[in-house]
Formats: sequence, structure tokens, C-alpha cells
Amino acid sequence: MKEPTVLPTYQAKDFKSELKPIWCPGCGDFGVLQAIYRALAAVGRAPHEIAFVSGIGCSSRIPGYTTAYGFNSVHGRALPIAQGIKLANPDLLVLVAGGDGDGFSIGGGHVPHAIRRNIDLTYIVMDNQIYGLTKGQLSPTSPKGLHTVTSDLGSLEEPVNPLLYTLAYGAGFVAQGTPADMAGLADIIEEAIRYPGFSLVNVQSPCVTFGEDDNQVKAHRAAMKPLSSIGHDPTNRIAAMDLAQQYGKALHTGVFFKNPSPPPTYDALVRERQRSLAEKAVPRERLLDMFVQK
Amino acid sequence: MDKTRKIDFATIGLRDALDLAVLIEEEAKERYEEFADSMEKHHTPAAAKFFRFMRGIEELHEAKLKGQRSELFGDARRVVTREMIYDIEAPETGEPRTHMTARAALEIALGAETKARAFFEQAIERVKDSSVGSLFEELRDEEIEHQELVRKMIAKLPPEDAGDIRDYEDPPVTL
Amino acid sequence: MDDLVIGMAGSGGDGIVSAGESLIAAAAYEGYHAMMTKSFGSQVRGGESSCRVRLSTRRVHNPGSTLDVAVALNWEDFLRFGAELPVSGSTVVIYESRTGVAPDKIPLVGVAPKEVFAVPISDIAKQAAGTEKAKNTVVLGLIAGWFGIAREAILRGLRKKFIKKGEELVASNERAFTMGEQWAREHPLQTPRMMDKAASHAGKKMLIDGNDMCAAAAIFSGCQFFGGYPITPSTEIMQFFTREVWKYGGAVLQAEDEIAGVGAALGASIAGKKAMTATSGPGLSLKTEIMGLASIAELPLVIVDVQRGGPSTGLPTKPEQADLFAAAFSAHGDVLRPVLAPTSVADTFDITVEAFNLAEKYQTPVLILSDQEVAQRKETVDPIDTARFTVIDRKLPTEAELKDYHRFKLTEDHVSPISHPGMKGGNYQGAGIEHNESGNPTASGKMHATMNDKRFKKLKPLQRRRDLHRIEGNPSAPLALVAWGSVAGVAKEAFDRAVAEGLDVKLFVPLLVWPIAEEIYRDFFASVKGGIVAELSHQGQLYRMLRMYVDVPAGVTSFCRSGANPIQPLEVVAKLREASMALQTPPQIPSEE
Ligand SMILES: Cc1ncc(C[n+]2csc(CCOP(=O)(O)OP(=O)(O)O)c2C)c(N)n1
Ligand code: SF4
Repeated sequence: MKEPTVLPTYQAKDFKSELKPIWCPGCGDFGVLQAIYRALAAVGRAPHEIAFVSGIGCSSRIPGYTTAYGFNSVHGRALPIAQGIKLANPDLLVLVAGGDGDGFSIGGGHVPHAIRRNIDLTYIVMDNQIYGLTKGQLSPTSPKGLHTVTSDLGSLEEPVNPLLYTLAYGAGFVAQGTPADMAGLADIIEEAIRYPGFSLVNVQSPCVTFGEDDNQVKAHRAAMKPLSSIGHDPTNRIAAMDLAQQYGKALHTGVFFKNPSPPPTYDALVRERQRSLAEKAVPRERLLDMFVQK
Repeated sequence: MDKTRKIDFATIGLRDALDLAVLIEEEAKERYEEFADSMEKHHTPAAAKFFRFMRGIEELHEAKLKGQRSELFGDARRVVTREMIYDIEAPETGEPRTHMTARAALEIALGAETKARAFFEQAIERVKDSSVGSLFEELRDEEIEHQELVRKMIAKLPPEDAGDIRDYEDPPVTL
Repeated sequence: MDDLVIGMAGSGGDGIVSAGESLIAAAAYEGYHAMMTKSFGSQVRGGESSCRVRLSTRRVHNPGSTLDVAVALNWEDFLRFGAELPVSGSTVVIYESRTGVAPDKIPLVGVAPKEVFAVPISDIAKQAAGTEKAKNTVVLGLIAGWFGIAREAILRGLRKKFIKKGEELVASNERAFTMGEQWAREHPLQTPRMMDKAASHAGKKMLIDGNDMCAAAAIFSGCQFFGGYPITPSTEIMQFFTREVWKYGGAVLQAEDEIAGVGAALGASIAGKKAMTATSGPGLSLKTEIMGLASIAELPLVIVDVQRGGPSTGLPTKPEQADLFAAAFSAHGDVLRPVLAPTSVADTFDITVEAFNLAEKYQTPVLILSDQEVAQRKETVDPIDTARFTVIDRKLPTEAELKDYHRFKLTEDHVSPISHPGMKGGNYQGAGIEHNESGNPTASGKMHATMNDKRFKKLKPLQRRRDLHRIEGNPSAPLALVAWGSVAGVAKEAFDRAVAEGLDVKLFVPLLVWPIAEEIYRDFFASVKGGIVAELSHQGQLYRMLRMYVDVPAGVTSFCRSGANPIQPLEVVAKLREASMALQTPPQIPSEE
């Protein structure tokens, strides 16, 4: 084996906090957490340089299980808060996480805007097609016809397609993973973090308590189809959108789309503007001088 | 499924192979510990107890391999890291369930040992270094032993209680 | 014995809450008055769970204070619920002997319970039902055996519950129950505590929680649309609609968030249907913008806020009364939005019907300010005589009025007939911008003042609604006790006890908590010199609001504490005693130096 010249600075365990997850045993989110530890180790940023923002939901507990600066905010508002953090300090690595309800229902309005601004964030959605924390209500990604406590007679709505939507909104990086393939998931998250710009990782992360029996990790392992195995070219947005239409029917994993020539991020543009205008700044205490009628 | 990253079995030497083996045991040990904690938190004591027991076994194994490593190579640099391995002997996070029976917990461990054995078998095919080959054979044999141990434990389990927990337990709680 | 409070705790897998459910269902069937509250750990499944069941031959107003009977399947779990399950010197403690704790070593600090029984609950279950899991059935047998409660009804309930899985499961649970009962008989209490028989109303009482009651009352009132978003502890209202509203030509929309939920409900109201939304604290904050729109557009709308511990996620499964300020004041602009607060599951029906009536009559959003306890506790309720309710519908324009229709026409009672899409001639432009009588936009300060005036004046009669304020006791009493929402049930019991003790006290329970009915309070406080306003919030929000609008006598103070710290009737009595003493103290004469 070839010897690496430098050894990694951080190991997965450096990102693991003392708090023990309270998720139901077998919950898909455990695997996502493991993958995040590893991806963070691979990326190699210090825990104190990482801000990890979430909304509310079972999945949104995830920042607390890491040693990053976590913020478990309010339902649906992780993205706006994360954008504020990144703009206030672009040097931070900013991760955002939450459930499908958090991200595509109550927080759905924020997604296109985070994407079109292209702020350098990595958004990890733990998509279990159900509301876990509030006990099994219909979620925006629940398949049509699903019986839940709020769709007693079967849901009448078509689900949201997170992959297709985010691709259509113009996201530069869209991928899907499953804890059934933890190594693959860690690779995807690492790649998403490294992508300079907004990146979405939709994780099919089963809910053992309220989810369907045929939508659990074991079933995912049998059903998953890595995009690499079907020769998908991740630089082809149209091909990605084509494949994304299979959401809910087939479980494709891997990178759907990665912009081969990423445009500058909003935070980079902000920096540039700050830099270029800095010399024009008058001393703060003379800021009001401009109103003086000379 | 791919369980390693950046490890080339064709060229791996004994030192790295030993480091890899230590990490495989460490990973399994930690996973069992997490399972045990989670089972305790979720009032599933029999499974918790068994997972704690498995944790102990993996720890012993880890210690033994660590000893071997330091005997042969002292403090020489480690290049294999935990990030390079994924659930080789550790049971997968999606497996346990609230209120699972001891038998179900044992079966998870059996599955994990079986998958570890398969891993070493595949690795043996690929390695060129004979000392690594015999280390992996040894490890594979230990997995076989573990499989046997767990099988015996399963056989010794008292017959399962006839009741189905779902008939009696409280409904899930909302937050 | 005519009153019994049983508290039980174990893990979710022990099914102790399921046992409580069986017990209260059986008691209700037998005609007892009963109430049940639950409390849980933070695990979705397999966590700690507890419940308290109060049974009585008389009406009960709250879940009771210290336990008469404590059941611990596991001490660790039981002790987690110290606040919910207080044990006293008169409690009978029953626990699983497998915990290995000796009866004189039970881990209850500072109390020596009256009697303690270590029962081999799991062993009995195993022997009788072939599975230790039937522990909860054994517990039911023990309780039936010692306290003589609802034997036949429990057995009937067990059959109903298990028959889906076959006769064998029914039979094994019957055996577990009977063996539990027998164990109790073989180990009698030193002081027998057999429950009196309930007045025979077998099969007549309802068993229902406040959320279901609210939803059912809404549908009774003619509500045909629900728009909302799940949030604990209000989601069950939406769930009831999901099951039932279609049958009445209505619809329910689980929206993408609270804003969309209230928006859709407002839309249904624009279309002429009675509509509702329900939420809890954080969701209420999101709804406030559209509630402002409903106020200016004068649209009927009912909004339920089931209060939980706040702010933000706070304590989502615990009761608190700290959204009163938000309910009354979280509005932009000059807005008056009536707020009604139920005090029990039973009166949640009345309050909900009243809310729809006010909304329709005055064309305004109306808030129902419930709380986690009222919303989620189960209570026995006698059948409701629905004939005593009048259901009010909004005033539609007449044919003649439609010939020359002005949506916001100034009228005698300040309410303008309201049309809706589909009515020929009733076309108007609804908007959030200020409007003139025909609904056209205006920036005139004069028109704005006129319309504000109209919107306030139409609600004036509300402040004279004595029937929305419950007053009890000697009208000229010098001592006052004021409470609202779920704490009113505690206050009612405290009041009865205080009167029995000879305190000259009167009770005031506002069902309309906003606007403050100034005259009604003024009359009430006329004879008052001292007393308390009891509520479950850190600031004492009602007390502070009263001081804004009413001359509260200086001797009336706030007795308040943060949510999830239940106020007990005896504490209230003690406070009243203190207040009464203070009235008797002669004034201090300043000493000369
Ligand atoms: C404003 C607001 N509305 C509603 C809620 C209640 N709530 C908390 S989490 C949640 C949805 C949970 O589902 P999801 O986001 O998919 O996450 P999961 O629990 O499945 O991981 C809801 C409706 C809230 N906390 N705040
Ligand atoms: S309820 Fe579902 S999503 Fe929540 S922790 Fe349990 S398994 Fe996971």
C-alpha cells in the first residue's frame, strides 16, 4: 500500500459528541450520522469551524450529536438561519439538515431562494416520507394513496419530488443516498461539502416507527441502484432530470448532477464586493457626513 | 457492497493489515456499545445486555490484535484510518428495533459475524503478502468461532414468550 | 369511598398507559365520573410512560392531587414522574416485586406510604397468560380486586381489545386479570378502600379528550373546512376532521405550513363556509399575519391555539397558560379579536360552538385558547343536549340589498351583511388594505378611523356577556379567586374546599378572556379586598391584563408559576387562607422614633 505523505488531521470520532441519540433503534438517521462523521473527517475542517443548523423534527436532532457548533432552530427555518451564518462568516463550513417535512413542506419556500442565491451550504435532508416527531402524519414526500393519521382514507396528493425540484431550481449539486450504503453516503456528503456552492443531499432515511415495512434499510439495500452503475454522467443536467423523475419509484443513489464549472457563490461575491469597496469606507463616526448640505 | 476506501489488498503489508484488523474490531465494539445504550434508553434490556456482551468480546479481540501490532511494529506510523472502513464487522445501524427479543439481537450479531467472515474470505483472495494472508485466515477463523458461539447461544435461549409486545405496549408518543 | 386517584408508571413496553385507558373506559361505562392525564419521556417508542386516573361518584374538576394508589412497574421510571405522581402518607403503593426492592426500602424520600405491596406482577402474568407482557392486565386485576372497580366492564373491555387476535388471547388476558384480582383478595388492605358504586348510568357516558370534543363541536356548528399543519398538542383536531368532515360535505387540508393552513381556512370563509384552523404556540405566531387580514376583511374564522410550554419548542407536551398575551395582542394595527378559553373537556363543546357563533355573528376571527391539559386529558362527559344550543350563521344580504350592495355598509349594529362568491350582485373586492363602505381601497384617515370604529363597536356587546363569565359564591365576599383555562378546574375544587372551611370567598372564571369584560370584573371586584389570580405562567398573564383594564383591589395578588408545574387545589386553598389572614391584620401604626 502506498504511504500517504500527510495523515488526516481529524478522525470520525472527533466529530462525535457525548450526547447519545434518542432516535428509535433502527432509525435511518443513525446511518446518516455515521456518514456525516466520516465525511467531515475526510473534509478535515476543525469541529469549531463548522456550523450545523437544523429545523425541528426527529432528524433535526442531528447537530446535537456532533461536536460542531449546532443550532436546532425552529420548524422549517434552518436554511434562512444557515444563510445568515454563512454570509456573516464565509470562512465557516455550514451544514444544514432536517426532515422532508421541515425542508419541503413548511420550509419549502426557502429552498428555491437558497438555491438561486447559490450560497455555499450543504443541505442534507433525511427523507422518510412521513412526519416522525409528531407521530406519523402525511409528509410532502409521502406517496399518493398513503394512509396516515391525517390521511385516514388515503392521501389524495402527489408528492413533492425533491430531486427534480432542486434540479429545476438550478442547484449546482444534487445527490441522493441511503444509510443502506453508508460508504456511498459518506462519499456523497463529502463531495457535496467540497462542492463550492449550494448542494443538496437527499437521503432516503427510513422511519422504523411510522414508516412502511417495505421502506426500511434492508429493502433499500436490495432496491438501490447506484447511478455510477448505470453509466450516468453527472455533468448532464437534462439526463439528471430524466433520472430524477424516477424518485419514489426507483432508488437511485449517487450524484445526479454536479455543475462542472461552478459559478461563483453568493458568499464569494459578497466578499469580493466587500474587498473592492473597503477603501471607499469613511470612518464610521463620519458616516452621517454625507447628509451634510454643503 | 464496497466496505473499504483507499485500501489496496494486493499491496497491503502486515503492519497495515494489523492496523486494519484493530480498526475493524474497534468499529464493531463501538457499534455494539451504541446499540446497548440505545436499547437501554428504549427499555429493551435483554437485547441491551447481549449487545453489551458482544461489545466485550470485540474489545478483547481488539486488545489482542493491538498487542500483536505493538509487538511486531511498536509505535510505527499508522496509515490505515477508521474512515477507510465501513461496517465490516459492525452490525448495521438500521438493524435493531425497540422491544426486540434477545433472539433477534443475537441474530443481528450472527449476521454481522457472517458478513465479516465473507469480507475476510474476499480479502484473502486478493492479498499477495503471505503473512497478511495468514493473518486474514486467522481472523476469518475467529469469525467462524464467533458465529459458532452465537449459534450456540441462540440454541440455548429459552423458548420465546408467546406474547406479542404490540398487543400490550403503549402507543408511540408525540413530541 | 367516593373518589380515587390512581397513578401508574412503567416503560412504554409495560403498557401501563394502555392499562389506564382500559380502566377509565370501564369506569366510564359503569357510570363513574373520571379523568385521565398522561405523561411521557422523550422517546417516541419504548420510553417511560405514566398516567393518572381519577375516578369518582361525583363530578370531578381536575385530575386530583396526591395519589391514593401508586403503581410502579419499575422504580426508575416511576421516579421520573415525581411532579405528576406525588405520593403521600395515605397512598397505597403497589410495585413489581421483581424490582428487588424491599417494601421498607422503596425509594420514595420523605414519605412513608400507608401500605406497600410488592406484587410478583410479571410472574402472575407469565403463569396466567403464558407471557410476562400481560403485566398490565394483571395490574387491572389488582386494582379491581382491591378497590372494587368495574370488574365486569374491564373484562368486557379486554374482550373488545383482544378479540381481533382471537379467543385464545382473550382467554389468557381474562386469566391474568382474574389472578391479579385473586392476589389482591388474598392480600387485603389493612384499611379496606372499596369504591362506592356509581349511580347507574351504564353505557351512557362519553369518554373523550378536549381535541376530539373541539373538532366534534366544530362540525356540529356547521364547520365544513379545516386547514392546518400538524403540531403537538393540537394535531388530533385535524385528525378528527380527516376522519369525519367529508361526511358533511366538507374538506380538510393538511397544508404545507401554518400560514397556508390558516390561509386556506380564510379562503373557505370567503367562499361562505364556516372554517377553522388549529395549532399550538409556534404555529400561532405564523398565523398572525393572516389573522390580521381576517380582521380587516371582516371574515368569520375560528383559530384554536392549544397552549404548550413555550416560547418556541419549549415543552411541547406540557401545559402552560402563557399564550394569553399572544392571543390578545399579537396583532399589527388596532385589532380586537375575541379569545375564549375552555376549562374542561365538557365545556370545550360550549366554547367551540360559541366561537363559531361569535365569528359568524360579528364577522371576525375568534381564538379558542385551549391548553395541553384540557386538550389531551380524557374525561367522562354526560351526553350533551345539543338542543340547548343555537347555531348562528352569518348575516347574508337580502335580495334588495344585493341590488345596491356595499360590503362594509355602516349599520346600526356595525355588522354589514356579507356576500360570498356565487351570489349575484354581491361582488366586492376584499383586501387587506383599508377600504370604504363598498370595499374600495382608501388612504383616507377619516375612513380609517370610521372603519376601526366599526370593527371595535360591533364587538361591544360581547363585553356584557355575563354568561361567558362563571361567578360563584357569596356576592359580597371580600375574598376573590380568579382562574381560567385548565387551572379553573383546580380553582373550583379549591373554592369548594375553602367555602367548606368557612372562608368567605367567591370564584370568577372567565370563559371570554379577551376582551376584558370591564364592567363584569368591576362588579365582581366591588366587594373584594383580597384574593388571588391563579394561573400557570411565569408572568401571571391574566393578572397583568386585568390590571391594564380594571381597578384590581390591591389585596388581590398573582399566584402563578411556569408551566409543567401543576398547581394543586390545596395550595390554592392555602393562598386563600393567607389572603384572608391579611385582611384581618390591623393596619400597622408607624412607630415614633
Ligand atoms: C411552526 C411549527 N409547526 C409545527 C411544528 C410541529 N412539528 C415538529 S417536527 C414536524 C414534522 C416532522 O417531520 P419531518 O420534518 O419530516 O422530520 P422527521 O421527524 O420525520 O425527521 C412538525 C409538524 C413545529 N415544531 N413548529
Ligand atoms: S419516529 Fe421515525 S424518524 Fe423519528 S426517531 Fe423514530 S424511527 Fe426515526
